[in-house]
Amino acid sequence: MWRPSSKSLRARELFSLRRSELDTPLSLLFGRAMGKAHPVYASMELTYNCNLACRFCYNPVQRQNQRRTTPPPGPAKPPLTLEEILCVLDQLRDMGVLYLTLTGGEPILHPDFWAIARAAKERSFALRIFTNGASLTEASVARLAELGPYCLELSLHGATAATAEALTQVKGSFDRQMRALGWLKERGLRVYLKVVVTRLVEKELEAVKALGERFGFPVYFDPVLTPSDDGQDYPLDLRASDDAIRRLYSASGLNMGNSPFEREPGQYNCGVGTGTLHLTPYGDLQPCIQWKQAVGNVRERSIRSIWEESALLQEVRAISRQVPAVIVARVKEHAYCFSCPGLSRLRTGDPLRPDEQYLRVAQIRREAAESERHSLKTRK
Amino acid sequence: MASSEHFKRNPEVSWRTIEGQSVLVFNREGEVQVLNEVGTYVWEHIGESIEIMAREIASEYDVSEEEALRDVEAFLEELKGSGAILLAEE
Repeated sequence: MWRPSSKSLRARELFSLRRSELDTPLSLLFGRAMGKAHPVYASMELTYNCNLACRFCYNPVQRQNQRRTTPPPGPAKPPLTLEEILCVLDQLRDMGVLYLTLTGGEPILHPDFWAIARAAKERSFALRIFTNGASLTEASVARLAELGPYCLELSLHGATAATAEALTQVKGSFDRQMRALGWLKERGLRVYLKVVVTRLVEKELEAVKALGERFGFPVYFDPVLTPSDDGQDYPLDLRASDDAIRRLYSASGLNMGNSPFEREPGQYNCGVGTGTLHLTPYGDLQPCIQWKQAVGNVRERSIRSIWEESALLQEVRAISRQVPAVIVARVKEHAYCFSCPGLSRLRTGDPLRPDEQYLRVAQIRREAAESERHSLKTRK
Repeated sequence: MASSEHFKRNPEVSWRTIEGQSVLVFNREGEVQVLNEVGTYVWEHIGESIEIMAREIASEYDVSEEEALRDVEAFLEELKGSGAILLAEE
């Protein structure tokens, strides 16, 4: 049968890659592409500048109240120029990258943000913009609506100004975020709210979910904190309590994970080295945003040649493909466990050793599931 | 029925051909559509002559040129209906 056929499916369902959906055309296609190391996703940190000073920020920039033991390294190179960024976009398009994430820092603060975003749309990328929303104005939201990104993923750190600003350390930022959410809703933009679950916000999880519902935006909760890009552990001082994580997994209807593109537990292949790549503001190409190791620089070589020839990237690819078997072998609660090789590498030096935060979450999830089963039996 | 030459791809739909299949992302609706091999051929040649498309398809697959032409026309209508393509003057 040759007839041009096609099938429409909701993106959220596809990208969650739940086991039951593994036979969908897109997940099969992406699985095949990653199997052949065809990059489908790319992210670009446009700048490390930010209008907030989040205490757990992982960027290699000193912000207030961070318990650093050494100062962050200064930039070794000048940031990419607009011309260089446009050349990067051409290369990513020619390599077949479909989803492009613009992130930072606060990417909208980049002096050429609008030119870059427009150029990305012209090159037919499905554009994701990670922002805190606090710099948005009614006029810039109108520009975003005109731009037409796939989505904005907006970080939120509380349901009240007191809680959110205890983390962001910028007075008035919460109110600015709330105004931005109102304009984004009015303009019909697709927004996902993202909450990193810290001990500061843990009392307001349900309130943040309700806040998202008021605007009609889904909220995603992520209980895993990451060290700074240069390996400092200060963000982990803000880890949420076991009780908060238990509440997260026992409450109904909370979306878990750091974005709607997050994998589900049991889906161990994250695509590092096989389907994703990441660029820093200085043109260093990394396997992903969390695997902080330059495998080449776009000023020196084409992205394709780095992707295809870098010995370091070949090693990452080999490690990435071992991850599923290693998790199943090493983790008792593997059915409830994620693993991020980049985070493991940063924390322990061993990308195949699941991070203790993921193990803690997996254990709590298993206990919650057992308790649920027990209470069902008792009721029967 | 307008020929393919009267259509253009909707710039609001992001797309790439991955492993021989076009993946269309409808940014506003949040939906994704995956085309098969022949759908991909048509998609990549939007704006070109429908007759040449039908001839190419008939030479590759076990189908007459007339049938190929009818099916390509129907597929273009489907793409138009979903908003993946627009009339060229829009």
